[in-house]
Amino acid sequence: MSTTAEAPQQSHDPELERFHGRLPWVIGPENCATLSDKIAGITENPQPAWWWPTFLGSFLLMAGGVFAAVYLISTGVGVWGSNNPVGWAFDITNFVFWIGIGHAGTLISAILFLFRQKWRTSINRFSEAMTIFAVICAGVYPGIHVGRFWYAWFMFPVPNANHIWQNFRSALLWDLFAVSTYFSVSLMFWYTGLVPDMATLRDRAKGKLRQTIFGLLCFGWRGSTRHWRHYEIAYLMLAGLSTPLVLSVHSVVSFDFATSVIPGWHTTIFPPYFVAGAIFGGFAMVLQCMIPVRAVYGLEHVVTTRHLDVMAKFILATGTLVGYAYAMEFFIAWYSGVPYETQIFMDRTGFDPNGGRYWWAYWIMVSCNLFVPQVLWFKFCRTNPWALWIVSVLVGLGMWFERYVIIVQSLHRDFLPGSWGLFVPSWVDWLQMFGDFGLFFTLTLLFIRFLPMIAIAEVKGVLPNAHPHHHGHEHEHEHGSKHEGDHAKPAEAHANNGHASGNGHTNGHSNGNGNGEVPIYGPNPGSGKTHAIIAQFAGPAELMHAARTLRDAGYKTLDAYTPYPVHGMVKSIGMTRSRLPLFTLTGAFTGLATAVVLQFGITAGYYPIIVGGKQYRAWEAFVPICFELTVLLASLFTVLSLVWLCGLPKLYDPKDYHPTFDRASQDGFFLTVEANDPKFDKTETAATLKKLGGYNIGIVEE
Amino acid sequence: MPVIFSRNADSLIRHGAAGVAISAVLVVAGFYYYMLPSYTRVGYAPDQPVPFSHQIHAGQLGMDCRYCHQSVEESPHASVPASQVCMNCHNPEKANVKGKSPLLALVQESYKNGNPVEWKRIHQLPHYAYFNHALHVKSGVSCVSCHGQINEMKVVYHAKELSMGWCLNCHNHSHEVLREPTDVYNLALQMTPKEQLEKGNQIKDRFKLNPPQNCQGCHR
Repeated sequence: MSTTAEAPQQSHDPELERFHGRLPWVIGPENCATLSDKIAGITENPQPAWWWPTFLGSFLLMAGGVFAAVYLISTGVGVWGSNNPVGWAFDITNFVFWIGIGHAGTLISAILFLFRQKWRTSINRFSEAMTIFAVICAGVYPGIHVGRFWYAWFMFPVPNANHIWQNFRSALLWDLFAVSTYFSVSLMFWYTGLVPDMATLRDRAKGKLRQTIFGLLCFGWRGSTRHWRHYEIAYLMLAGLSTPLVLSVHSVVSFDFATSVIPGWHTTIFPPYFVAGAIFGGFAMVLQCMIPVRAVYGLEHVVTTRHLDVMAKFILATGTLVGYAYAMEFFIAWYSGVPYETQIFMDRTGFDPNGGRYWWAYWIMVSCNLFVPQVLWFKFCRTNPWALWIVSVLVGLGMWFERYVIIVQSLHRDFLPGSWGLFVPSWVDWLQMFGDFGLFFTLTLLFIRFLPMIAIAEVKGVLPNAHPHHHGHEHEHEHGSKHEGDHAKPAEAHANNGHASGNGHTNGHSNGNGNGEVPIYGPNPGSGKTHAIIAQFAGPAELMHAARTLRDAGYKTLDAYTPYPVHGMVKSIGMTRSRLPLFTLTGAFTGLATAVVLQFGITAGYYPIIVGGKQYRAWEAFVPICFELTVLLASLFTVLSLVWLCGLPKLYDPKDYHPTFDRASQDGFFLTVEANDPKFDKTETAATLKKLGGYNIGIVEE
Repeated sequence: MPVIFSRNADSLIRHGAAGVAISAVLVVAGFYYYMLPSYTRVGYAPDQPVPFSHQIHAGQLGMDCRYCHQSVEESPHASVPASQVCMNCHNPEKANVKGKSPLLALVQESYKNGNPVEWKRIHQLPHYAYFNHALHVKSGVSCVSCHGQINEMKVVYHAKELSMGWCLNCHNHSHEVLREPTDVYNLALQMTPKEQLEKGNQIKDRFKLNPPQNCQGCHR
């Protein structure tokens, strides 16, 4: 089938259609079955030989980090090299570094989803997982860097006997809300994406334990279109809610610095500069991990050189933005005429005759972040995995040094020469930092080992032939009769997709044909209460055609089970758009109201205290937390309402008695009619389904 | 596909989840009821070595608080009296009030050998918090505001929370407790809420009181 026939379903603009459909994002002879085998197989088969030594190494590094943290907590923060004036050093450097790493995942999963960048499907799962692990790594530092980590709950507005409340005007508290919202929303987004894939793993599992674990984790997902209907909207809502987080989280982190008066920190360019740097470093980290992983697991046809190329372009663009910010800092230092500002920036370059000791860090940062990525103007460097990997590693190094320069270099020389000082990391600093890398790689390796690192269901949705051809399902009512004329096309898709469900196919014909009697499945076949009738179809086009025919014939309880959400299927089974967004909106308003009541109630009413000479009710500083809580609760409501609207968990469903029904999470397309449907009739419905191309037709009993 | 879970797995999970949610609510509610000073401290009434009754001394007899707690107006500490103060009345060789009572044996022994009676401490101030009795009583904070109706207690018990939040609440609403400094030791004084507010505001204005609400007010 030519690629031009693969029209996107979202658009009717021929120009756009050509743009989207020009090249496939997954190359090679992939179909739903081989894709499931390939990706789920990674978690099912023994790991390659390198896995254990790598895991052991990472684990040892992590153990070193745990030791360093225990030593810090039991001894005191003096074991770090942080001092006066460099009160923040490795701890906050690493915190900001890791928070930044996470941004690529959110950008890929949220913003690129909204922009319908289909290439994201191959890398979004992996980079979202990296987001979560990176935020965990970052979260270590705020937890331990004040020493008495058992008082960490003081950071949260928990009612307590001391009536201690947080200062809602502090950038550090905004940061807490931003990072915890970021983590929670990313986790929910990631997990929502994982649910259909864990259903795939459940259905492929051989052992009872694996079946039970993944069965529980996926809440009994079966790929029902009545569930996809809510799922797709929930996913869209979560993407929409995560999108502002990409921009806000690092902006808020940058406020930790920008709202202070330290020369080198006190600058308005920080928020965009930090966001660009975060995406820059994050993409580098994704590439750094993805390039080796795709090579050793043979995923080159899913994560293609085109993916590398696009990500390299992101690195080039954001790296150049960051370079612009570096230049602008110097310009402002000169243009403002502030001697402290000028001093700190001259000190960075090393050209200051009385300069400090950190000029080398500055030049590592500029070289790695601005100069090195310029090689990505050449296509060879963007598409050659080795070249790109080396660039990514250097970018990661540069981004670490960027935070080091901003924090340590700015602090070591402030206004008063009398209080100048130097920072020298102690062995505990180093151990903690490498321990954090150990934690990150340990989690990543475990993730690769146990969970599908590529979003199987989503990639299935971008395969060629993933969606039936139709003339705009939005207008289907106007030309419903046209489906008869379309019959040739489903047959064509059948031919293409048939091999995907080959095993089910042969099975079905031996079952269903015989003497025209419909086989019955159930705990005690033939004696139970009839639950539903199930028919398998060769592909999405046949399934959709059958669903529409039955829907038009008056069936009310149709449901289609598909490995990925098929466009137009919701309407084809007679359902409308999900009302889930109303729950999201409710959550958003709940969050906003909570934030307003919390902040005004405490700061202006319950415990009024003057901060920064502001009026009690001055609202400007309350905006960040209002935003964060709005997003947090909207996401929470979205996920909970998804579970509720789908009626999950649904671990038990009599449909599972059907012998090939488990293919629905891999490569099978099924249509079901419930027994309580007014039009349901064992023989007649079965005959209709058969006539429409159904096979493996069976009746399940409860 | 094999059927993995039994027919009632879903209702089991739902009931389990509901159970966990209810338990979580109960745990939180229980924590806030049982674990805060309002429960852990209030009502603490240890048996003292000598069954001294504030009800008799401060209530029936109407003795002034300062007769025993001598330094309350001059010092951060109100001070617990030495046995000698008791013996002003209870010395069998002098005033001989109940001098023969066996209940007083410990006090008399302490008076003779000079070792103080080992009273059990009830109101315990953490050493990282600064509190000054003199400042409070001179500003018009009565004994009863923090120690409860001492004049009615046979056995002294912990009447108020004395938690940091409780302190701050009073510092924030001091007009609700302030009274004339001359009435500070008048433990039986009754005022209607309206009178109290008027009086409290009046005292606050007179002394230009501004109770500190910042950290270093108490954590110096």
